Amino acid sequence: MKRRSKIIIVGGGITGLSTAYFLAKKGETDVVILEKNYLGSGSTFRCATGIRASFTTEEHIVLQKKSIELWKELSEELGFFYLRGGYVWLFSEEKHLEAFKEFSKLHNKYGVPTRIIYPDEIKELVPRINLEGIIGALFDPIAGKADPFGTIFALAQACRKMGVEIYTGVKVNKIITENGKVRGVDTSAGVIEGSKILVAAGYGTRELLKTVGVDIPLENFPHHSMVTEQFRETFKPLVIDWSTSTYVVQTKDGNFLMGTEVEEHPNYPLLTRIDFIPRVVKTIVRLFPWMREVHVLRYWTGYYVMSPDRHPILGPVEDVEGLYVGAGYSGHGFMMGPVVGTVLSEWILEEKVSIPQAERLTLRRIKEGKLIYEKAVIG
Amino acid sequence: MGGERRKEPIIVCRCQNVTLDEIEKAIEEGFTDLESLKRKLRIGMGPCQGRTCLPIVIRILARKTRKKPEELLIPTSRPPIVPLPIKLFLVGGEHEEEE
Repeated sequence: MKRRSKIIIVGGGITGLSTAYFLAKKGETDVVILEKNYLGSGSTFRCATGIRASFTTEEHIVLQKKSIELWKELSEELGFFYLRGGYVWLFSEEKHLEAFKEFSKLHNKYGVPTRIIYPDEIKELVPRINLEGIIGALFDPIAGKADPFGTIFALAQACRKMGVEIYTGVKVNKIITENGKVRGVDTSAGVIEGSKILVAAGYGTRELLKTVGVDIPLENFPHHSMVTEQFRETFKPLVIDWSTSTYVVQTKDGNFLMGTEVEEHPNYPLLTRIDFIPRVVKTIVRLFPWMREVHVLRYWTGYYVMSPDRHPILGPVEDVEGLYVGAGYSGHGFMMGPVVGTVLSEWILEEKVSIPQAERLTLRRIKEGKLIYEKAVIG
Repeated sequence: MGGERRKEPIIVCRCQNVTLDEIEKAIEEGFTDLESLKRKLRIGMGPCQGRTCLPIVIRILARKTRKKPEELLIPTSRPPIVPLPIKLFLVGGEHEEEE
C-alpha cells in the first residue's frame, strides 16, 4: 500500500472516481482513492440513474449541460450504458405547468432545448400511458440515464490503467494538518501522507471535516426506490409525476425503477418502510394501469445528502490549505459526476476553473449567506 | 484456472444466464467481494433474488480467493424477498380506484 501520495481522494463513489479520472487524464497520476466499503457503495449505486439539465437555476443548468456532453464522451470512450432517452415531467395543475413554462425559458437561455408538450406528444414518447388528469408536460430531450454499476467499474478500470491506486475497505478517520495545511490522513490501515486531499464522502464529508474544525452544513435524508422484473423496452424517457414527486424509468436491463417522496427525518438510518411500496404504486398504476400485473423484485433505500440550498458544495475549503470538498448534491450526485470531476480536478491542479458558475458553489457561499435555491428535486 | 474455458457453458445464475466461466473471469479481474460481483454480472438481481445462485457463487468465490465462505460478506436481502405483483400493494385492494 502506498504510504505517500500527492493527492488523496476520500470516497470511491462517482465524485472521487470521476475526479481521479480527469486528474490522470491530465497527467497527474500520483493519486490514491480510499473507499471505506466497496466502490459505489454510498449513494452512487443506490441512485435512480437519471441525468438531466432541466433544473431551475443557472448554476445547475449550465453545469449539467456540460455534464451531459461529458456523459456522452465518457460512455463512448469507456464503453458503458448511457442513453439520452429524455425526461417527461407530467403536470396535473395549471399553476405547475405555468411555472415550468418559465423554467423552460431559462433552460433554453442556457442551451437546454426543453419545451412544453401536450397529451398527443406525451403518448408518442411514452406509449401505454394513461393521461387522465394530466394537462401537459415539460419534455427535456437531452436528459437521459446511465448504468451506475457499469460507469463506476469502467472509471475504476480506466483510473487503475493510468496509474491511480484504489484501496477499498479502508476507512479514513481523521485529516492530519500542520500549520493550517493538510499533511495526510489517518486511516484504518495507517497514515497516508499527501499534500492535497479531496473529501467526497457523502455525509461522511461532514464528519471528516469536523476533524479539522470545519463544519459543513449537510443533512442525510433517506430516500426510497424499487425495481420490478425485466421487460422489453417499453418507453425511453424518465417520467415524473410532478404533483406527487414520483418517477419511473426503465433501466438498461429492462427493469422499471421507481420512487416517490416519503416524509423523512434528517440523519435517520436507512430503513425500509411498510408504507413506501403502496405509496409509489398508487401513482404508477394511475399512469400505467397495466403495471398492476408486474412483479416487484427489490426495494432499497439511499441517502440524498442535502445542502441548505440543494446545490453541491464544491472546491477548496479556504481555512485549510490543500483541502477540497465535493458533497451535498441533494440527490444529483451521479448525474453531476463528470462535470464535478472536471472542475474539482481543475481546482486541485490550481488551474482556472473552466465553468465560472462552479465558483459560485464553494463553501464560501454558505459562510456569506449567498444561497442559490433549487426548486426541482424529485423523489 | 483462468486459462482454458469450458466448451459447454455451466449456468450458475439462471435468471440472468451467468456462467461459471464468467464468474471465474470476473473474480480474476478483481471483483473479489460479493457486492461488486453481483453488480458486475447481475447475479442475484433477477426473480430469484439470489436464493438459487448465491450459495453457489459463495462457494466459487471462497474457493477462488482461498477464504472460508463465512468470511465473505453476504449482500443485503431486500424486500419483498419473493417477487410480488404490484396489485397486491394497492391499499384497499386491486379495484380501489375503479370504485
